[in-house]
Amino acid sequence: MKKIRLVALREFFENMRTKTFWIGILFFPVVLILSIVIPKLLQDHKDARLYAVLDRSGWLLEAVEERAAFPDMEKLLRVIRDRLRDGSAMKGLPPGLEGQAEAIRDMSDEEISRAASTLTMLHASPEGQKILDDLPEEVAEMVKKSGEQLRRWYSGLSAKEARKFSRSLSRSLYERVDIAPGDETDPEAPFREALNEGRIFAYIVVGKDPIETSQGNKYVSNNLTDDALRNWFARFASEVVREKRIEREGIDEEVIRRIQTPVVFKAVQLTETGEETKVESVDKAMQFIPIAFVYLLWIAIFMISQMLLTNTIEEKSNRTIEVLLSSVSPTELMAGKIVGIALTGLTVVLCWVMFFVLTIKAAPAMNLEPPFDLTPLITYPKYLVSFVVYFLLGYLLYASLLVGIGSVCNSLKEAQNLMMPVSVMLMIPLFTMFPIVQDPNGALARVMTFIPLTTPFAMMNRAAADIPTWEYLVSGVLLLATIALFVWAAGKIFRVGILMTGKPPKLKEIIRWVLSA
Amino acid sequence: MDTSDGAYALELEGVTKTFGDHVAVDALDLRIPSGSLYGFLGPNGAGKTTTIRMIMSIIFPDEGRLSVLGHPRAEEIKDRLGYLPEEKGLYKKMKTGELIAYFGRLKGLDKRAARARARQLLDEYGLGEWHDQRCETLSKGMGQKVQILSALVHEPELVILDEPFSGLDPVNVELMRDLILDLKREGRTVIFSTHVMEQAEQICEYIFLINKGKKVLDGPIGEIKAGAGRSVKLEYEGDGRVLPATPGIARVHDAGMQAEVFLEDEADPQEVLKALVDKIRIRRWDISEPSLFEIFIRAVEGEDL
Repeated sequence: MKKIRLVALREFFENMRTKTFWIGILFFPVVLILSIVIPKLLQDHKDARLYAVLDRSGWLLEAVEERAAFPDMEKLLRVIRDRLRDGSAMKGLPPGLEGQAEAIRDMSDEEISRAASTLTMLHASPEGQKILDDLPEEVAEMVKKSGEQLRRWYSGLSAKEARKFSRSLSRSLYERVDIAPGDETDPEAPFREALNEGRIFAYIVVGKDPIETSQGNKYVSNNLTDDALRNWFARFASEVVREKRIEREGIDEEVIRRIQTPVVFKAVQLTETGEETKVESVDKAMQFIPIAFVYLLWIAIFMISQMLLTNTIEEKSNRTIEVLLSSVSPTELMAGKIVGIALTGLTVVLCWVMFFVLTIKAAPAMNLEPPFDLTPLITYPKYLVSFVVYFLLGYLLYASLLVGIGSVCNSLKEAQNLMMPVSVMLMIPLFTMFPIVQDPNGALARVMTFIPLTTPFAMMNRAAADIPTWEYLVSGVLLLATIALFVWAAGKIFRVGILMTGKPPKLKEIIRWVLSA
Repeated sequence: MDTSDGAYALELEGVTKTFGDHVAVDALDLRIPSGSLYGFLGPNGAGKTTTIRMIMSIIFPDEGRLSVLGHPRAEEIKDRLGYLPEEKGLYKKMKTGELIAYFGRLKGLDKRAARARARQLLDEYGLGEWHDQRCETLSKGMGQKVQILSALVHEPELVILDEPFSGLDPVNVELMRDLILDLKREGRTVIFSTHVMEQAEQICEYIFLINKGKKVLDGPIGEIKAGAGRSVKLEYEGDGRVLPATPGIARVHDAGMQAEVFLEDEADPQEVLKALVDKIRIRRWDISEPSLFEIFIRAVEGEDL
């Protein structure tokens, strides 16, 4: 045991001096930081699209803006509420909301939606009044008191200001510039000029009668590959026009709305006791996080067991092996190497996990918005624990395969040939990553769970689902038994192979070594 | 040193090892007295390294009996053995001091003792300033020295050196020889192998000659030489082809300017010299015991080489 420890520690400290080790440690933090910082930088540097509208109908622009304000207002209120709840620094509430912090903090998502609709597109309609009556008193009070002020504030909100609340508001993305139309013969002239001078990104012309025909509608820009602004405007314009068309047919406004109300299916998950729980958007993101973890797990296992292989071959080809074998037995040597490199890998993986947790904790303070909300990873440690445990088990499994291969080869090139079947095996979890995450308790996922070579990946892959305890137990026992078998066989192969020079043996011979004595 | 293991540090009886169809070591008997300096001689591929590996329990004999320091398997007493393998490798990234201490610890020394001993050995053999240098910065000769030091760090009773002189320049050969003699003087049993006979001739008390896996000669070097007849070392100028034709000369190893000449048992060296001086110019005429090389050649003559 003492010798195993010595070999392991030497291995560990020597690996710490290699570049691979530090590249490995830095790999994940760099990827994580880049995936957060690059989109942010891109967005920060992508200016809001400035556009202008020549509205010849005289009413459509106003209607569109009123309508477009609704999702923005909804999102704004939600952001403000979440910040109030977090107690994180609120850099100035919008005017009119200063005294309303209490009311806003207690609003549910649904109340926010309804309040936002009365604040924007429905603010003057009888229907809006009805919604207001249904809302809890403080909320209704808030809307009545601050509505006007809030609307005015929003309509004057610049893209830059809007970004301080959220980058995904349409106001953060598009900002309208007022341009006076030219004379009757060529009203578009000032718009063209602005576009050519680069003062605006695009301008939109609305025809005289958009309800009757789309003729005369136009989107003019020098950049037609970025379609987002056109689609955004067209979507709201269509909604407005559709309502007007129905109205023109003499159908009551109330009826129109009812017709237009979309059919909604609430996403609900059953707990084990049969209770219904609402699926929050966070949970949906969480279902895709296993993919990232499977990928990380794969990289970690592959990198670390590869390290063991290289290291074994190196020791064999630089002939230190014989001196070592005069002091330790082959079994002790192999065990020491496997443990030493496991320590190395564990250090890398724990560094990743620590960095991950720190980033998640520090992100809000640094005003970073990661692409997903990652906080549940800390609150549900299942992911991180599975990651570390399955890393260790997966490593042991593949390490024992590779150390056996390494011991019979004299060069990396020879090893690559023998590695082929293992590499192919290792590719499978990458291909099944997406199907499994979509159906984490399906047949494919289950089959892969009970094939020991893919168990670590499959279980990580399914981490978002509720996996029956018996599956954990049975696959775990199978995996451990396979590891024990592999380590035992590797020991046999190592003992013979490590002193061999010349051509690597045929598979048949290797099998004979394992079975003999 | 420890004498409880008896008079022999090493005993082999009928030890045989085959690789596939090839018999590497064939029914070998050998006894090495404690405290002796024993040379394993033989051409490349004779079975020296295989024998040594079996002694070290790195591989195991197919047949026969081994006793190392009184134990049937070296595995049990690895900590009392020091081994320098034929193919020498170091951990390139480790510092020399660390490396020597590491092997010391593998041999059972505690951390502090291993470190102290590593420093002491490096100082003693003129490598003190390399203590904190990585092994990859060492020259070949220095690397070999570091390696042998790491085989000696735990003060082994039995030291086995496989081709310790290979690849060394004359200065380092000298150093290595002194080191081996030091070990012997300290009372350790030393076995070393070489395929260069002269090296063994200079320092060994005992030699063991092996060829094609079989023992050819074994015993104290003086006895072996005494039983081998007379030879004359000569230096000459002229046509060396006259040498074998001269009456009284049995065989010749002619190197061009120097030659080793073996006389027939009843020949008179004086007469032979007389016959030669007319044909070539003799610069040196030195009657002596035959060289190990000659002994070896003669011993294997009867077999198919």
